[in-house]
Amino acid sequence: MSDKPVKFYTKDKAHKDAEKLLEDNVLGDSSGSPLTESSQNKPLLPESAVKVGFKGNKAKSWLRKLFWPSLSTFIVFAAGYEAYGFVTELIETNWLLGAVAGLIASAVVISGGFALFKGWRARRQFKKREQQQATLRRLLSDNSYGKASQVLEEVTHDIEEYVNVTSLENDFEKKKQQVHNDHELIQIYSGTVLKGLDKMAIDIVTKHASEAAAMVALSPLAAADMALVAWRSSKMIEQLSRLYGCPQTALGRFEMTKRVFKNMMLAGASELVADAGVELLGKSLTATISAKAAQGIGVGVLIARMGLQTMHLCRPVPFGQENKPRLGQIRKSIYQKVAGLVKTASTGKSDKSNDTIEKKK
Amino acid sequence: MDLIDKVKTKSNELIDRGLNRNVRIAVTGLSGAGKTAFTTSMINQLLQAPIEEHLTFFSVNAQSRMQACKLTQHQELHIPSFDYSGALTHLISDSPQWPESTRNVSQAQIKCRFRVGHRWIKKLQSDSAVTVEIVDYPGEWLLDLPLLAMDYKSWSKACIKYLNSERRKQYTEGIQNKIRAFDYKSLQDETALAKELKGVANEYRASLSSYRNDYNDYGLALPGRFILPGALADAPTLDFFPVLNEDLLSLDWEQFEQNSSLKVLEKRFNYYKEKVIKPFFEEYFTKVDRQIVLIDTCSVLESGYESYQDLKDTVERLLEGFSYGRSNWLKRLFSPSIDKLMIATTKVDLVPPDQHSAMESFMQKMVAQAKNNVGYEGVEVETMAISAVATSEPVATEHEGEKLLCVKGIEEHSGESVIHYPGRVPSKGLSRQEWNDLDIDFAPFAIPELSEDEALPHIRMDKVIEFLIGDKFI
Repeated sequence: MSDKPVKFYTKDKAHKDAEKLLEDNVLGDSSGSPLTESSQNKPLLPESAVKVGFKGNKAKSWLRKLFWPSLSTFIVFAAGYEAYGFVTELIETNWLLGAVAGLIASAVVISGGFALFKGWRARRQFKKREQQQATLRRLLSDNSYGKASQVLEEVTHDIEEYVNVTSLENDFEKKKQQVHNDHELIQIYSGTVLKGLDKMAIDIVTKHASEAAAMVALSPLAAADMALVAWRSSKMIEQLSRLYGCPQTALGRFEMTKRVFKNMMLAGASELVADAGVELLGKSLTATISAKAAQGIGVGVLIARMGLQTMHLCRPVPFGQENKPRLGQIRKSIYQKVAGLVKTASTGKSDKSNDTIEKKK
Repeated sequence: MDLIDKVKTKSNELIDRGLNRNVRIAVTGLSGAGKTAFTTSMINQLLQAPIEEHLTFFSVNAQSRMQACKLTQHQELHIPSFDYSGALTHLISDSPQWPESTRNVSQAQIKCRFRVGHRWIKKLQSDSAVTVEIVDYPGEWLLDLPLLAMDYKSWSKACIKYLNSERRKQYTEGIQNKIRAFDYKSLQDETALAKELKGVANEYRASLSSYRNDYNDYGLALPGRFILPGALADAPTLDFFPVLNEDLLSLDWEQFEQNSSLKVLEKRFNYYKEKVIKPFFEEYFTKVDRQIVLIDTCSVLESGYESYQDLKDTVERLLEGFSYGRSNWLKRLFSPSIDKLMIATTKVDLVPPDQHSAMESFMQKMVAQAKNNVGYEGVEVETMAISAVATSEPVATEHEGEKLLCVKGIEEHSGESVIHYPGRVPSKGLSRQEWNDLDIDFAPFAIPELSEDEALPHIRMDKVIEFLIGDKFI
C-alpha cells in the first residue's frame, strides 16, 4: 500500500479502470488498507470488554458433552433394533402386515430425519444470525469503512427468502452514499429496511398477544389457558423469526424459546421497573373489569413481552435507545380488545337482566 | 368561534415559547476554513429538505415531518444579511467559484415548518415552526477574548514575546525598530499625533498581514480586528501598537502626562477593549445557543509542524471562550448560553472515504485538551469530518497491484477529470521528525457543475444539522 500521493489522469490505465464504489463491492476484504491500521490503533474497548468473562470449563466438558449424544444414539439404536425385530416378526406371521408396518416405520424415519435436518438448519441459521449481530455490533463501535456492506447484503439476502422487501431495499439504496462509513451505513439500514420489518413485527406481536388475551379471557378452563399460551406463543415466534430471515421450526424453536425465556427473566427485571408505573395505573382498570379479563390481559402482556424478546434476538442490528419497541403501545391494544369483549358481554347481560326485570313487572 | 381561535393561537404561542423553538447558531473558523461555503450549504440543505427529503440523518426529515422552509428577514436589523442567493449563484454559475470569504459578521434566518412528533405535544398543536438563525463571523474576532483580561502594559509584554519568535522576526524587524524609536513622552497637537500614530500602526498591521499571508499562521497577541477590521476599517481606535521598549515597560506610567502619546495609545487600547470587544462578546455569548467551529485540517497537514503547533494553540485559545468556568471573570461579564459545540474538519471531500476517520481522529487529537475543558462545563461537544459542498466522488482503482481508494474530481487549473490519492492521513499527532517525513498532498478540485434545483452535494451535513438543531423539532 503506497503512502505517497498519486494522481491518475484520463490517459492513465488506472483512471479508466476505476470503478464506482457503490456498484461494485470492491472492499470485500480491505486487509492492509490504511483503515485496518487506524482501527487497530484505536483502543477497542467494547471488544476487549466482550472478551472478559468466564472461561468455558473445557477440561471436563467432553465427558459431559458425551452424555446426550451417546444416550440418544443408544436409544435410536435400541429402537431400530427393536423395530427391525418387530417388523421381521410381523413378516413371518403375514407378509402384508409386515410390509405395511415396514412402510410406516420407514415413513417415520424419513420424516423424522427431515424434521431433524430442518431443525439443524434452523439452528444453524440462528447461529449465523447471532454471528451477524456480533459483527454488526462490532462495526457500529469501530471507525471502519467498507466492511459493513457485505454483511448487510447477506442479511438482506436472508430476509428476502421469506419477505418481500424490495421497496424498503430501494429506500436503503437511495439513501446510502459512497462516503458513508460502516457505522452510518448500518444506521441507515436499521432506519429503512429493519424499521419496516419492525413495524410488521409489532403488528404480529400485537395481533397474537391481543388474540391470546381475548381467548384466555373467554376460556373457562385453566388447562386450556396454558395450552393456548403455548400454542399462540410458538406460532408467534415462528412468524417473527421468519420475518427477520432466520425461521425457526419445531425443533429449532425449542432452542429459541429457551433463549427467549432466559432473556425475559434477565431483561424482565429492568423492564418491570420501567413498566411498573404504567402497570400500577392500569391495575385499577383491570380490577374493575373482572378477574378473568385481568388474567387475559396478563397473558397478553406476557406474550407481547415474549414477542419483543424474540424481536431482540432475531433483529440483525440491535435496537437503539430511540427505536426500541415499547410494551406500552401493544398493551393498549390488548386492553382495548379485552375491555371491548367484556363490555359487549356485560352490556348483553345487563340488557337481558333488564328484560327479565321488565317482564317481572 | 373567535374566542376559540384566539385561545388556540395563544396556546400555540405559549407552547412555542415554552419549548423555545428559536435556535441561534454561530458559525466560525479561521479564515479559509470554509465558513461561507458552510453557511450557504446549510441554508441550501434546509431549503431543499422538505422537497427532496435527502437528509438521512436529520431525524425530522427522515420521518418526513418537514413541511416547508423559507428564508426570512432577521430581527437584529443592525447585522448585515448573509448574501445567500449571491453565494449560491457563484457556486452554480457557468464558471463556478467559491463564494467570497467572510470579512464581517452576517446573519441569515430560516423558518422551518414541521409536523409535531411528540405524542403529547401533538395533541395540543399539530404543526409548528422552528426559527434557525445562522450567524457567520470571522474566527479571528474570537481571539480577542483574552485581551479583555489584559491591560495595555501586559499586552505589550505579550507582543514582545510574539514578535520576536524566529519565524516572525524577519517580517517585524523593521517596524519593531521604528516602534522602539517612537517618542512616547512627546506632547503633540492631537491631529498631528493621530496622523503619526496612524502611519506607524498601519505599518505594524501591514507587517503582520504580510507575515500571515506567507505562513498562514494565526497569531494570538494581535487584536483580531487588525487582521479583519470588519466595519472598523480606518477607525482611529485601531491605530495603536504595543510598547516594545523593555525599560519603558518597567516604569510606572503614572508620571506620564494625560495627553502624552503613551497615554493616547493606552486610551485607544482601552477604548478598543470596551467599545469593540466587549459588545461583540456580550451579544455573542448571551444570545448564541449552538456553535460550530470549522477547521481546515487539510491545509494544516500540508503545511507542517510549525503551523500545526500554531493552529493548535490558536484553536485552544479559540475554544477557551467556551470553557467559561475556568475564568470566572468571563462568567461575571457575560452569561453564556451555548449548550452544544461542534468542531468540524472541513473539506474532507479531498480525502478518500476510508480515511475520513483518520482525519477526524487527527483533528480530535489536536483539540483534545480544549474539547475536554469545554465538555467539563457541561457543553455537549462533538467532532466530525464534513464537506459542505462536495467536489469529488470516491472511486477505487488499482495501483502497484493493490486496490486503492481515491477521490475523483476535476483538476482546478486544467479542467481535466483526475483521480487523486492524497497519501496516508495520520490518525494521531506527529512528532517533528514524522512531520518532516509526511508526504501528503490534497489537490483542491474545481467545483463540478451543480444544479439549482437540487440540493448541493455534501458529506455529513445532515449529521451536522441534526446535532445543531435536531432536538428543536420535537
